[in-house]
Amino acid sequence: MLFGLLETFNNSPLLLYISVIGIACAAGGIPPMMERKRRRSIENALPGLLESLSDTVGAGRGIQEAMMEQSRNVQGPLGALLTETLEESHSSSFEAALSAFAAKTRSSQVQRVMVLIETAIEQDAPLQQILADLAMDYERLNDLMNQREEELLGRGLLIVLFVSVGLPVLIAFIVGLFAPSSSGFQIDSFNQTFSLFFGAASAIALGVSGRMLGRFKDALWWMPLWIALSMGLYLGAVVMIGG
Amino acid sequence: MRKLDEQREILYVIRTLDVLLSSGVGLEAAIHTVGSGGYGIISEDFSAMMKRLRKGSSRGLAPELKTLIKKAESEGYRRLLNTMYSNVTQNTDIVETLRKQGVRMENERTEAVKKYIEELGAVPETLLSIGMIGPIILAIVGLVPQILGDGAEAIVGAIDQGMINSVVQGGLVITLIGMMMIGLKAHTKDPGL
Repeated sequence: MLFGLLETFNNSPLLLYISVIGIACAAGGIPPMMERKRRRSIENALPGLLESLSDTVGAGRGIQEAMMEQSRNVQGPLGALLTETLEESHSSSFEAALSAFAAKTRSSQVQRVMVLIETAIEQDAPLQQILADLAMDYERLNDLMNQREEELLGRGLLIVLFVSVGLPVLIAFIVGLFAPSSSGFQIDSFNQTFSLFFGAASAIALGVSGRMLGRFKDALWWMPLWIALSMGLYLGAVVMIGG
Repeated sequence: MRKLDEQREILYVIRTLDVLLSSGVGLEAAIHTVGSGGYGIISEDFSAMMKRLRKGSSRGLAPELKTLIKKAESEGYRRLLNTMYSNVTQNTDIVETLRKQGVRMENERTEAVKKYIEELGAVPETLLSIGMIGPIILAIVGLVPQILGDGAEAIVGAIDQGMINSVVQGGLVITLIGMMMIGLKAHTKDPGL
């Protein structure tokens, strides 16, 4: 059945090449998605951690002790990473542990916060106030990022689904119904032109959708698969409807 | 591109400078910390400036800041550099000004994100309108000579299939360019979160 399906697209080698590339690239697209999910979970938990640290430092405890205590209370990957790093820090300095923690999170937000905390410790600055300010700053930033994600995700998906799936099927329906090749219509070159158009339109739709959500580079991994899907849907639907 | 990078990093730079300066770190040391990395294009600017100052190939911090002001493309970055310049030349209260700037920029960023979400609200509809109407019309144009057969020639005269194909291809390329131009809005108006 699979070979039969591939035979159908023998006249479109480009579609077959892009399908293979698309499947390979899709495998590369999954790790950035998982990494993003992990990073966002850490970043969303960061303001809570900073606020708790500020309270604990305000109660008169040292920052290292406060971090130890909070690492046991914070849930999710942030708490686990913090515990792991602080346990490892017995063999090194606290500053080195902070840097290691920042590096392990792979989050620019956490890295910036850790640099500021390190500097504040070095300069003997009022940590409680700094931590409270940072917590508020990053809470507002994460709220904005989450708001953007929530409000634009639906729109981004709508663009991709309509342009990559809806549009090729609709045009294929029109072409297959009014100019079926089974009735002798010569539409091979027409189909080639339109399948290329749908591939390009699909790439643009995915690019726009990715940019809207601020993850254009991650979207690039999925581009060949969506291009192939769009071209395949058009050519397949034309054959199915028009014969 | 530079403007977007500046807008993305400026608020973090202001917050960092605020913490550093209010902790008692000097302005040059604070610039050095930001220049050591983590703040994109602003780190590059500060790092290059510190390198010139260290080598002695510069007339001092104030002229260097003046040069950077000319180079800055975003309003926020220019304002920050102006504040730093005023502090170097007139010994103004930089910490207080940075705090005010930070609050103002944060409000601006919140507004920018809301505006971005609002403005992108119409993008799917516009993209779909152009992306659907264009190919539907062009598909009909491309198929009409075959569907109508001799009837088409009776209505519009002799039809050159090659010319029809060129019109369809040209139309599809224009449709793609139109879609790209609409999509470009998502990039150019990005608030830089």
